Amino acid sequence: MLTRRSFLQSSSLGAVATAMPGLRGAAAQAPRSKGRVLVVVELDGGNDGINTVVPFADDGYSQARKKLFLKPSSLLKIDDQIGFHGSLKPFMKLLQDGQLAVVQGVAYPNPNLSHFRSRAIYYSARRDTEDHIGIGWLGRGLDARAKQHPKTSHSLYIGGGAPPIALRGHRAAASSLESLSDFTLLDAPPVMSSDAASKKRSLQELVRRNLRRADETSRRLEQLVKATKTEFSYPDVPVGKRLELVARLLRAGYEAPVFYTSHGGFDTHANQLGSHGDLLSQLATSVSTFLADMKDASLGREITVLVFSEFGRTVKENGSAGTDHGTAGPMFVAGPAVEAGVYGTTPSMTDLRNGRLKVHVDFRRVYADMLEWLGLPAAAVLGGPFRPMGVMQRA
Amino acid sequence: MIKTDPWRRHDVRDWQRKHVVHLHRRAAFRATWAEIQRDVSDGADVAIGRLLDGKPRLGVPKTFEHVSKALGKHAVARGDVRNLQAWWIYRMLAGADPLRERLALAWHDHFATSQLKVRNLAVMHQQNEILRQQALAPFAQLLRRTAKDPALLLWLDAETNRAGHPNENFAREIMELFTLGIGNFNEADVKEAARALTGWTVRDQKFVDLDVRHDSADKVILGQRGPWRGDDLLRLLLDDPATSLRVAGRLCEEFLGAGVADEVAVAALAAGMRENGFEVRWAVETILRSELFFAKTTRNQRVVGPAEFVIGAIRALEFGKPMPRTTLLADALSRMGLGLFRPPNVGGWNGGEEWLSARALVARTNFVSGLVTGEAIGRGPLDALALVKRHGHHSDAESCIDFFSGLLFGEPLPPLDRTQIANGLTASKPDEVARQVVALLLASPAAHIS
Repeated sequence: MLTRRSFLQSSSLGAVATAMPGLRGAAAQAPRSKGRVLVVVELDGGNDGINTVVPFADDGYSQARKKLFLKPSSLLKIDDQIGFHGSLKPFMKLLQDGQLAVVQGVAYPNPNLSHFRSRAIYYSARRDTEDHIGIGWLGRGLDARAKQHPKTSHSLYIGGGAPPIALRGHRAAASSLESLSDFTLLDAPPVMSSDAASKKRSLQELVRRNLRRADETSRRLEQLVKATKTEFSYPDVPVGKRLELVARLLRAGYEAPVFYTSHGGFDTHANQLGSHGDLLSQLATSVSTFLADMKDASLGREITVLVFSEFGRTVKENGSAGTDHGTAGPMFVAGPAVEAGVYGTTPSMTDLRNGRLKVHVDFRRVYADMLEWLGLPAAAVLGGPFRPMGVMQRA
Repeated sequence: MIKTDPWRRHDVRDWQRKHVVHLHRRAAFRATWAEIQRDVSDGADVAIGRLLDGKPRLGVPKTFEHVSKALGKHAVARGDVRNLQAWWIYRMLAGADPLRERLALAWHDHFATSQLKVRNLAVMHQQNEILRQQALAPFAQLLRRTAKDPALLLWLDAETNRAGHPNENFAREIMELFTLGIGNFNEADVKEAARALTGWTVRDQKFVDLDVRHDSADKVILGQRGPWRGDDLLRLLLDDPATSLRVAGRLCEEFLGAGVADEVAVAALAAGMRENGFEVRWAVETILRSELFFAKTTRNQRVVGPAEFVIGAIRALEFGKPMPRTTLLADALSRMGLGLFRPPNVGGWNGGEEWLSARALVARTNFVSGLVTGEAIGRGPLDALALVKRHGHHSDAESCIDFFSGLLFGEPLPPLDRTQIANGLTASKPDEVARQVVALLLASPAAHIS
């Protein structure tokens, strides 16, 4: 019916901003962008760290977990104390290949057991609610960069809805994208040009401008879809598809230094065994496929994946073969720039605090590693000095 | 200097199509051609009165409430929030009282509660019915019914709030978001309010007040000391003028748009509400009958939200019979950023310019393309030409543009826009041309503003 070809405004409109700044350079043969890329994968709901990095040698494990007890023979032993859940084979391989860091016992002082509150703490890197002002750690970090490098100080959230607060800054732009079809204009009507006489910033002008940007974004993404395909086979689940999209965008030269996505379903209050295993398998396969894809792409950019969750789960299982909200859990950092290994102390299953795991590592120490690696001011972002864990290789 | 009343009445002698279209775009979901003609002819007082009384629509079937009840029950039984979204959309589209549905949506945003945490459709459905029933009631009634409804209690962790182990979530949000607003209370008030609320919980999906969980000692809230319980807290909050200011501000934003009513006007409205039983209907009537509401500086200054955009389009085009596939409409609204029953957080939707993200605009534009072909609603193509002819207009392109701009915007397009639309027509057959006109108008900047 309406065809875009008939209606595209002529190039006299000049350069039109897109809604996704990273598309600026993206094209079939994009000049390769330098610079490091952080991909954050948030495990939504509170991952049961105990059954992820399993303390099989701790007597407390078999005491606390019955229906949710994982037999040592099913585990992928990392050493004589801990082993990965059997579904984490790809993570074991990454560890053996020197591409995975496992940080144990991570949380923050006086853990909060509310999804919303704890997430806010991880997003803002601030413990107190009054400091949760809708600005996030990566937003702050990219704000600091925005002055010197305005073109590479934005982030992209892959998922439904608006970008999480973690990405929000005062200046840094965060866009969101669920799938390429989000921006596929089925039938593009003509983009109305402005009344040149009307210079003042009115609501009408804003709408016109946004419509133009939407159209331009759609066009650029359409080109990108045609230009890039990946040979790699990602799991047909949301986290797999999202990481695949990140891979395609990176292959096309998308310039954002930070991508953020989530893997949902971890709030396993009931019947945890089967679902948790599936979720872990999906995670490990998706992340390792992504890293292999990026290695193959030879982008000349270093890519690191950070995996975390808003809290761990209870030591004891509950009456519904599940677990409730807990405290500490593992964080994972994966990629070729990582100093592989196991960090931190394995939380004891018997020496507890308020019946839950003790916290050994403040998550901001891992954030400090990430910020330093990206060349962003860690202390300013985190609101104070946090000694880095040291999970990244010294440059 | 003469002090003029910020809410002085609109001069009813100045009553044209543009006023009627504005009224229905702001306080309903647009109007059909016949409804517009009728309202122009009947005058401002009657037209606005009809809207307030919940009787503005022509041709609402007698079976509507019966069907709605069945759809609601079915949606809850199926357990998929999408069906509940579709149920509400059915009400917005086919029901008799669009003002009430607009207010229910505004209250859903105000008392934002998400199915994602509550995980109980029966409870979400019940909350929605309360918001609808109490939409125009005295705010005290709306607040009391909502605060003691399971959905809100579950959403804000009221059940974990007990003597000795206060959970502040419920107390904080009641004060911060639902009544006083930030800056009108302090942390001590929150703590004490939480203590007052101990005992309120949910059992078998019903509100109960458990004495054994209640912290019965004295509390000091907003400077007042007493052995306050939950009902007392609500009374203290309602009595505080800050609450009336906040509610008045909310209503001004909803019907006038952000920043239109200044501090003086909001304060005057709040004072008026306090003198009139704190009744929402009184405030809405005051706003809708005001000169401010119909002022040129108010018209076309507010971003059209997704529900108004989608449902308004279908209504005005008389494209609601046979009933569109409301689940498709639910999906479209979600893509535009309005996931009914799933506000992004306890603060609701930010609205305004946030409805105009590139993604949302792509969703709106795609909806419009799909609407005229019928795909977006699961039906056959829109017979735009028949609509034009039915209402006595000619079928050439210029006449179509005249008719549809009158229907959708109430007044002629600015010449530049009109030229661009005319130049954008590529079809040759009259029925295709008519459809193209509709699509171009609904995808133009003017359609996103009201």
